[in-house]
Amino acid sequence: MVLARHLYRRLMRKWRVIGLVALASVPGFVYWLAAFDADPDELAGLYSDIIAIAGYSFAIAALILTVATLREERDAGTLPYIYMRPMSRLSLAISSMLAAIAAVLTVAFGGWLTTAMATVALGADISIALPGLALFVAAGIGYAAVFVPLGYLVPRSLLVGLGYIIVIETILASAVPGLAQFSIWRIALSIYADMAPVFGDEASEALGPVVAGVGGGVAKIAGTVLVGLVVLTWALRRRDAL
Amino acid sequence: MTDTVVVTELSKWFGPKVAVSEVSIGFGPGVTGLLGPNGAGKTTLLRVIAGLQRPSQGEVTVLGVNPRADSAIYQKMSLVPEDEAIYERLTGRKFVELAARLARVDDPEGRAETVLGTVELLDSAHRKLGGFSKGMRQRAKVAAALVTDPEVLLLDEPLNGADPVQRAQLIELFKDLGAAGRTVIVSSHVLVEVERMADRVVAMVDGRLAAVGSVPTIRAAMTDRPRQVFVGCSEPRRLASALINSDGVVGVHVEDGQLRIEASDAGGLARLLPQIAVDSGISITNVEPLDESLESVFRYLVEGS
Repeated sequence: MVLARHLYRRLMRKWRVIGLVALASVPGFVYWLAAFDADPDELAGLYSDIIAIAGYSFAIAALILTVATLREERDAGTLPYIYMRPMSRLSLAISSMLAAIAAVLTVAFGGWLTTAMATVALGADISIALPGLALFVAAGIGYAAVFVPLGYLVPRSLLVGLGYIIVIETILASAVPGLAQFSIWRIALSIYADMAPVFGDEASEALGPVVAGVGGGVAKIAGTVLVGLVVLTWALRRRDAL
Repeated sequence: MTDTVVVTELSKWFGPKVAVSEVSIGFGPGVTGLLGPNGAGKTTLLRVIAGLQRPSQGEVTVLGVNPRADSAIYQKMSLVPEDEAIYERLTGRKFVELAARLARVDDPEGRAETVLGTVELLDSAHRKLGGFSKGMRQRAKVAAALVTDPEVLLLDEPLNGADPVQRAQLIELFKDLGAAGRTVIVSSHVLVEVERMADRVVAMVDGRLAAVGSVPTIRAAMTDRPRQVFVGCSEPRRLASALINSDGVVGVHVEDGQLRIEASDAGGLARLLPQIAVDSGISITNVEPLDESLESVFRYLVEGS
């Protein structure tokens, strides 16, 4: 836990967190603007549509944050201070992953809170926003599982991660149904879809062929975390640390 | 004495660049100086010993263990990296305490105080590392490395940026650790520093071991070795006849308007050549050693003395 706490503090620099929470808050602002004059009956559907599409801004915030977990230590040359410690590489991987997840959940909560505040401001029932928290949390954990190992392994991991989000998640996964099953955002959206009181047309289109369901989505996210841990442990054991 | 660090047929390359080439050597208790010019492969060798980089070929054991395979070795081995990188937002005390906590040391606060005192940094320990001078950062890094009281201590250019007083203190500290039976490997490109603290010197050039022994032994070995140099000059035949009967000159050949001189005493030749050239009114345009790697070590050792 000492290492996880250290990495978490490194990630949670004030201005970075403020910037990333602002980025993750884009869906909330968009919802507030888009639903300002909307019919009260449409607010729940609009919420799901906007969070499903504009939520990619949170994906980018999660990328920027989690990819830095070990990449920052490598680039700064401080990795030896944590790598050369009597702890197994699995423990190191778990600590890194825990730190990234804790950090991304902080940003996720900030982003979701904006959507919740927008919901309240619009006079809608807060219950339509609650499943949104599950979406942000699931996506944050899933992205951390992918981007922490990526950050350790790839020097220009931010670019590669952006390529994944923009090219694969938003473009290719929309066109190729098979790829949609591997989209973190869609997996998280499948959890949300099962919990949301109303799931709009735009949101359904964004979900694509992925089947809505809390159990399936949670299992897929848990699987992603497991694979991320295995890859990161392997990388810490087999690849040069500097 | 048994070697605590054993390097066997070690090579490390990064793409086409060979950083360390077929190095086999053992390090035992005491202070060993790892000497060589920048780019000689010292840092890479230390990183591979530390387990931060894996060998491309060959193997390393530290206290009988492959450091890449068993992270428990870090309870007994520490590295002070060359990079200036440090956690600038932490205070000196927090940085050393963090190292102690990560190493699962009993009473991390107490241990941090002890090692900060050892490197004489207690008075500044409350300040953030970002405001430390380079020498103070080095001492903070050394303190962090000492929290586990390691049996093997790897120090990559630890005296960089330290002022003369700090250097003297650190050198005394390393000598004390060596005398206490620790294996201390200190890399440096400054011969005088190495000479002051190391019982044994390992000289590296171009990723290879160039010489191993005490500084006087290495210097003598390099000086005694027959050497060949190409000399470009205005009148090669006249210079050849002036050199041929000189002490320390084994042979002189005129090749393509240049002289190839074989000398048993390179130092003597270095003094003799300009003297003869001046006396004879011959201008020398270039002097080029044929054995560059050995020449590098030689020049390095001679210049540093």
